[in-house]
Amino acid sequence: MNNNPAIIGASLPRLDARDKVTGRSIYVDDMMLPGMLYGALLRSPLPHARIKRIDVSKARALKGVKDVIVGADTPQIRYGNWRLVPQSQDELPLAVDKVRFLGDEVAAVAALDKETAERACQLIEVEYEELPGLFTVEDATAEGAAIIHDDSPGNVSLNRKITYGDLEAGFKRADYVRDDVFTVHAVSHAYMEPCSSIAAPDEGGRVTLWTSTQVPYIVQCLLAATLGLPENHVRVIKPNVGGGFGGKMELRPWEFCAAFMALRTGRPVKFTLNREQELAFGRRRHAMTIHSKVGFTKDGKITAKDFNVLLDGGAYNSMGPTATFLCGNFGAMLYRYPAYRYLGRHVYTNKPPAGAMRGFGAPQALFAAESQMNMAAAELGIDPIELRIINAMETGDEIPEVATISSCGFKESLVKVREMSGWDAKRKEKSPGRGIGVGCYSFISGGVFNWFNTKYNFATAEVRVFEDGTAHLLTMATDIGQGSDHTLRQILAAELGIGIEKIRLTAADTAVTPKADLGTWGSRVTLMSGNAVIDAARKIKEMLIPVIFSQFDLNQIHDVAFEGDRVFAKARPDKGLTFGECVYKALRGRRGEPLTAFGAYTPRNRGLVSPAFSFGAQVAEVEVDQETGLIKVQKMYTAHDCGVPINKMGVEGQLEGSIHMGLGYALMEDFVMKDGRTLNTNFLDYKIPTAQDMPPGESVEIDTYEPEGPFGAKEAGEGLVSPTAPAIAEAVHHATGYRCMDLPITPPKVLKGIGKLK
Amino acid sequence: MAMPHFTLHQPSSLEEALDLMSRHRASMKVLAGGTDLVPKMRAGAIQVEHLISLNRLPGMNRISYLDDDGLVIGCGARLSEVGANAEVRRYYPALAHACSVMATTQIRNMGTVAGNLVNAAPSADTAAPLLAYKASVVLVERGGRRQVPLEKFFEGPGKCAIEHLELLEAIRVPVPLDRSGSCYERLSARSQVDIAGVGVAGFLALDMEGKILAARLALAAVAPTPVRCAECEALLTGHEPSPDLIARAAAAAVRSARPIDDVRATAGYRRAMVHVLAKRVLETCLSQAQGGAR
Amino acid sequence: MAKKTIELIVNGDHYEVAIDPWRTLAEVLREDLRLTGTKIGCNQGDCGACTVIVDGRTVSSCLTLAVECHHREITTIEGLAKSPQELHPLQQAFIDKGAVQCGFCTGGMILSAKHLLDRNPNPDEEQIRKGLSGNLCRCTGYNKIVEAIGHASRQMASCKEG
Repeated sequence: MNNNPAIIGASLPRLDARDKVTGRSIYVDDMMLPGMLYGALLRSPLPHARIKRIDVSKARALKGVKDVIVGADTPQIRYGNWRLVPQSQDELPLAVDKVRFLGDEVAAVAALDKETAERACQLIEVEYEELPGLFTVEDATAEGAAIIHDDSPGNVSLNRKITYGDLEAGFKRADYVRDDVFTVHAVSHAYMEPCSSIAAPDEGGRVTLWTSTQVPYIVQCLLAATLGLPENHVRVIKPNVGGGFGGKMELRPWEFCAAFMALRTGRPVKFTLNREQELAFGRRRHAMTIHSKVGFTKDGKITAKDFNVLLDGGAYNSMGPTATFLCGNFGAMLYRYPAYRYLGRHVYTNKPPAGAMRGFGAPQALFAAESQMNMAAAELGIDPIELRIINAMETGDEIPEVATISSCGFKESLVKVREMSGWDAKRKEKSPGRGIGVGCYSFISGGVFNWFNTKYNFATAEVRVFEDGTAHLLTMATDIGQGSDHTLRQILAAELGIGIEKIRLTAADTAVTPKADLGTWGSRVTLMSGNAVIDAARKIKEMLIPVIFSQFDLNQIHDVAFEGDRVFAKARPDKGLTFGECVYKALRGRRGEPLTAFGAYTPRNRGLVSPAFSFGAQVAEVEVDQETGLIKVQKMYTAHDCGVPINKMGVEGQLEGSIHMGLGYALMEDFVMKDGRTLNTNFLDYKIPTAQDMPPGESVEIDTYEPEGPFGAKEAGEGLVSPTAPAIAEAVHHATGYRCMDLPITPPKVLKGIGKLK
Repeated sequence: MAMPHFTLHQPSSLEEALDLMSRHRASMKVLAGGTDLVPKMRAGAIQVEHLISLNRLPGMNRISYLDDDGLVIGCGARLSEVGANAEVRRYYPALAHACSVMATTQIRNMGTVAGNLVNAAPSADTAAPLLAYKASVVLVERGGRRQVPLEKFFEGPGKCAIEHLELLEAIRVPVPLDRSGSCYERLSARSQVDIAGVGVAGFLALDMEGKILAARLALAAVAPTPVRCAECEALLTGHEPSPDLIARAAAAAVRSARPIDDVRATAGYRRAMVHVLAKRVLETCLSQAQGGAR
Repeated sequence: MAKKTIELIVNGDHYEVAIDPWRTLAEVLREDLRLTGTKIGCNQGDCGACTVIVDGRTVSSCLTLAVECHHREITTIEGLAKSPQELHPLQQAFIDKGAVQCGFCTGGMILSAKHLLDRNPNPDEEQIRKGLSGNLCRCTGYNKIVEAIGHASRQMASCKEG
């Protein structure tokens, strides 16, 4: 329980903010090491081709070039995040024999300066034999299509099925069945910090990598594997990271090349990508074609759902298998589906690979599912919020063999958002060009499934306490800007009853912080790493409690409290010591052995998906210019259940950031591609919303307590990105009558939809 | 891509600048704000050995307005300075508006109106209002000066009537007529901060009886160059303004557009938007003109 | 194509550097002066992370040639606070209002906000949003940034009155 309301649930400014507002925070590209070389990558200019010949002699001869490598020079060990299924590991750091997308890495150079490295890349001669390029899932799955990976004939790399209940019977008893196809597009993470990595050789053939990553442990393991080194030979350090959103959660070719060339040259090697490369070749959110069929009784009860999804995976699996898996789970969330069938197929195409991106399958699945709910509501003559309340999941609900919902504030969210947005009145009032719409979400608080096949705990923490009243928290949890370092400090401060400023934090250094942690993705850090911190803190408390008993000769019925930098008998606050004194006495009693404890968390018996689920509902109000088709989102209302928020201000920041990303997804972000080439590779043409696009918002947290979460907390960072697009789409429909079935909702589509443009 | 390795010249007089241009004619580019040139050089789109900076030329950033002479904008005047200038805002609101909504604050603090014109992008935001105001550009070379009406200046995407050894020294805009109104509207999928997907600028002046004495409409981003709409202007001139006339004029404006499909918008959408914006722009111009403001 | 020796006045400190004329101000600040608070997010003049103030106006330092800044007064994010103890009100407001997440856009955001408040000490919400339109942020959704700037402007006004 929350024993420290001044810390848990408060709005606390982040401790790292001071360095960030003064320009002192160090990101990888800010670092320079003595003797450092600069790396550059040569990428494939073709979307699909066989490599016939590579000649690096001219590049090698260029003055200032210190190393040039191609695939043949490397150990050629395939990698991928799905270690659990080795045949899914389909990537090589540098292409061997074949390139599969325009931008596939072919060679790397290390030189005295960046310019020389780039010039040397231009001097590498590669002879290609071009192969047919496949740019849509339809083309890739067509009869007789070229094969992108030899071991995946048909270009489907993975099928995922979920079924429960009697589907046929469900549809049979339905009074009304909707059968729709939705398409959703790929978008960029567009984190502000382009990827950067520096590798330096370490003694004894070891290597240290500073890298902008969400997953230091995964990078350590996969880098060691691809280099053919023991894991312990590789040290990965994550400095400040300028955002990730799922785009930095794998081993990347430049990380390998930096390390490999650092070992070869004996000098540090740095790679920094530029924005053009990020947008042209970087990971993106999966485009999908979603075929969804849902049955309802006439009073609005869902009877069955059949959910078929084709994922456009691009050239490699990347995190596609997880997105395929999760998409099916999100299709079954929010409402009670007596019968459900999901088939997800992950398809290879000759495009930059799609990977994990904030929401991880949910924005796509929920755009379809929530749009369909809105469409069904109209046909059934039931208010869209009412239709959701009729079907909403509740605490204790089960998805057979998949998940149990241990806390759920979904109905309360719906009721609240209806009230705060003035829904009933605004929905009835039909003024032309103005509309209001709703969308909802549920999301995971970290994954239960162990696709990385780690042998370690999912999250760990080490806590050290000192006689000066301070503590040191060591964790591999990975703050990429969301503020998890601060959240974990808050959790430790609350548990030990000491001030947050008394906690030193060392994070995300694989040689120093305890093994292991799967990193930042799937909204897992607060719940999983938070639980690990609490576990360690409780072990520390066990070392301190006896001191109070013996010091004050307490009757054993007493309980000991940790609050206000003191440790004392709960019922007799006078009988206590300062936290520092208490540590001092314990240390004496241990004859100098430091007070250190390890904590861990691994979800067990929590189904197949996640230990806990968030829920929420969002309402968008829009104004549509019916002559130009331009959409202005006026206001967003959100009611959401993230359990007990640890840091209210942090939760709000996640919500507002999610709306920003959802808004871009709904209205303006889109890759313009032709024959496998991305054409909009700058922020002028790849449009993310600016401050002027961002609507004001109102939000309410629904009060729930998640028994599996630290102090009752669950996820808040990702789920909220999903409801925005369907809410806006419904609001646009309400305003104009145009129903968007294919994101993004652009002005020409609106005008065509209302018959004003051919 | 790496920047080309050039020698930078920073002349302190116009004569020196023109001499340098002539001396390095084969491999020379002129630098003002750099907001277009630097990215192009970095992308390898421009090769240059000698870069001649105008940023130390005295008096080049002047913005002056005289009641009998009109507005003069020096080639060094930054977009933000032009947009904030009190007289520009008063007499040339369409230009002031274009200068304060295009690109970003930082770019407007660096980029110049002259650069925006010389760059000759079809989407140049300042071109449409300047066309509507009947502006000319003053081009100077070692041999002398010439003045070119802006409507004769643009020749194609990235191409304009400036000779290689000429500098755009200044932009001259005539004094607006009494009983006139003008405005600029642009559209893009994201709030303003963007290259215009479509831009329309208009100018209307009325005679004593309230008939349209002069009408000018200019379009950006819908043809290979920023263009005037002759048919639309002819339709308006000499007539009593009415909603029907404006509707017909707006429809005529579309026929001056020759848009393409690109990453920013489709041709069909652009054409439709010319219609919508032309109507809005003409309506605003008319109400300003009828309100007596000039 | 010799290097040019120039003098930059950055945050009140004078630096003499010999540089190639094609290098940008962002590169020279980061690599030669090691003032890495100026970030390069796009190197295309679109994102605003590299924003610095030159002679009182914000510019994209990734599009500015360093040699053109000879003898000009440059303020970077490192130079905004009076002292390490006393932050600029904008910096303090960014901390207090939760306007900082990953921090990569933060320096540029704050300098753009300063440029705005220097010209308009009491901006309304719309003016603040417009003033930030050259600075992209992917984490915060901007609203807390807008709030922080409004808060700082009121703080600065009350300091002046007091």
